Amino acid sequence: MTLHHYLILAAVLFCVGLMGAFTRRNAIVVLFSVEIMLNAANLNFIAFWRYSDNPELLHGPMFTLFAIAVAAAEVAVGLALVIAVYRHFKTVDLESIDTLREE
Amino acid sequence: MNEQLAFWVLAAIAVLGALVAVRKRNLIHGVFALLVFFAGLSGLFLLLLAEFIAAVQVLVYIGAVGVLLLFAIMLTERVAGDGGQRMTSRGWFWGLVMAVAVFVVLLLPAIQQLPSPEAAQPIKPSVEELGKKLMDPYVVTLEVMALLLTAALIGAVTAAQGVRMPKEEDSPE
Amino acid sequence: MSLELITDILIATVPLMLVFATLFAFTTWLERKALARIQNRIGPNKVGIPCTRISLFGLGQPAADGIKMLFKEDIVPRGADRLFHLLAPILALIPAMLVLCFLPLEFPWTKSLLPVQAFLLDGAVIFFFAITGLNTLAVFMAGWASRNKYSLLGGMRAVAQMVSYEIPLVLSAVIVVMMVGSLNAAVIADAQTGFNWFVFSPWGFAAFVIFFIAALAETNRSPFDLPEAESEIIAGYFTEYSGFKFALFFLGEYIAMFAISGLAVTLFLGGGDGPGLAAAPWLSVVWFLAKIFALIAVMIWLRGTLPRLRVDQLMGFAWKFMLPLSILNILVAGFAWHAQQQGSTTITVITWVASIAILYGTASGLNQLNRGSARPRKYKYAE
Repeated sequence: MTLHHYLILAAVLFCVGLMGAFTRRNAIVVLFSVEIMLNAANLNFIAFWRYSDNPELLHGPMFTLFAIAVAAAEVAVGLALVIAVYRHFKTVDLESIDTLREE
Repeated sequence: MNEQLAFWVLAAIAVLGALVAVRKRNLIHGVFALLVFFAGLSGLFLLLLAEFIAAVQVLVYIGAVGVLLLFAIMLTERVAGDGGQRMTSRGWFWGLVMAVAVFVVLLLPAIQQLPSPEAAQPIKPSVEELGKKLMDPYVVTLEVMALLLTAALIGAVTAAQGVRMPKEEDSPE
Repeated sequence: MSLELITDILIATVPLMLVFATLFAFTTWLERKALARIQNRIGPNKVGIPCTRISLFGLGQPAADGIKMLFKEDIVPRGADRLFHLLAPILALIPAMLVLCFLPLEFPWTKSLLPVQAFLLDGAVIFFFAITGLNTLAVFMAGWASRNKYSLLGGMRAVAQMVSYEIPLVLSAVIVVMMVGSLNAAVIADAQTGFNWFVFSPWGFAAFVIFFIAALAETNRSPFDLPEAESEIIAGYFTEYSGFKFALFFLGEYIAMFAISGLAVTLFLGGGDGPGLAAAPWLSVVWFLAKIFALIAVMIWLRGTLPRLRVDQLMGFAWKFMLPLSILNILVAGFAWHAQQQGSTTITVITWVASIAILYGTASGLNQLNRGSARPRKYKYAE
């Protein structure tokens, strides 16, 4: 399999995630979509590392390791925020949480 | 031949999992589809000979992030999916157009037929090398990541707990 | 997929499944008999060889139990999520059986075909922990799909317990990986040949105790079996399961016990090391299985002896006692590794004494800290 197969797959996954983030009203599904996008980017990193000229530098796995750690922290904080928002608004529907909008 | 078959099967699993995850009304089904996506991606990492990253993907994403998402769904809604409301947001059509446009832009290099790089060089996957790299050039990143995770832990606990309102009266003796 | 590859895979995995399935049947019999004797009764002693009247201490009981469970009616509650209700026991069984392949069991007939274990992975230990984490998902799925308040509550408690005890489990395995310098299970087992086991050092012993207690909590065994205790929550997350699905859960739980005992034996107890190996190399399998069996016997013994922990005691034990102790253990083991690199005997002795003192002091200190304030009760109305 050439590099291009992996790149196109990562692009498809990224756009599926993007579509999910733009299309759904539920805050948690938007978090799903962000995770899908982050994972697609990780796939890109590892694919480029695998087909690179000097893979012993291990830049792909290092970056991906840190990206996974950051993504896990971001999901934790994001879900804590969603829970706090739910406690106030009693819903996680992004269309109805619009108190900052001008009337 | 085996590698090709594995790639197509894992790619199909990943894409289907992602699609079902963002289109399902029932969120619990969506989360499990997302976990299938993570598993497919872990298989792809194994195919690319990054076995430590594949294990970390399963450990962190499926084991921890999946469980976290499930708990958050339990805590925040009537889970069978809000039956009455619409699932899609108000601007869904233009969102879809934007996603397709981003896809086309990302594919432009492939469409313009850039020469494909040569076949992959043989890699000997080694966890020990990863450990050495963590200590030698990347040690500052490691320490910053530890700080970040600690801050995220404290922040998540504080944000989810909420502010304790001071009690108006003392509890009866 | 060449035929040779398929036969290699079959020869590597089928003996494992057969051996552990037989061990599972034997262990259920042993558990019932041992628990009964601890509780001053006899246990199953009627079913011996089937279709005869010979009762060999009840050794045919597992077969009778299996046949009974196969023929029970399979009831799915109305309104339950049928797909997940079916998938949960399967998802509970698959990780348990999968991690059995990472153990360095050297079956003698596989010497010519595959080296040591079924999957010869460089990062076997971390794959083990990654796949054991899938058990939490199966438990949650079981609790959720049953559409039963008590199942859901039991499932969430079980998930909280398993997630909390994963951290001391992994941290105590990190000590062994640090001392050996490799994540490969075969390399770790080979580094302990000649009775050089890791239990025989103070940090290794502390790590083994922490690992064993965390393993008891991971597999929901007594005294951590709050999620599936009969007097607490009927049966917790598998209340609504009957027949073959319950049998699959049961099988999954016992195989998970075997797998984690196998990992404990590999990491701490030498994994196949024992007397008489130079003469007969096939004895390593016997020693490995004997050690797993000894750990299972200790687990059954603990189940019959200790009372159950309450949920807040359980969580407090994990986060306030075992986690600080295991982190300190890593620190002590790090210092000890550097001291061992020096090579002189006095430094080794000093390190041992210091580490024993530090670990014991920390354990007692944490114990004292978590004891809580137990003042004598003040009765308001009964003066």
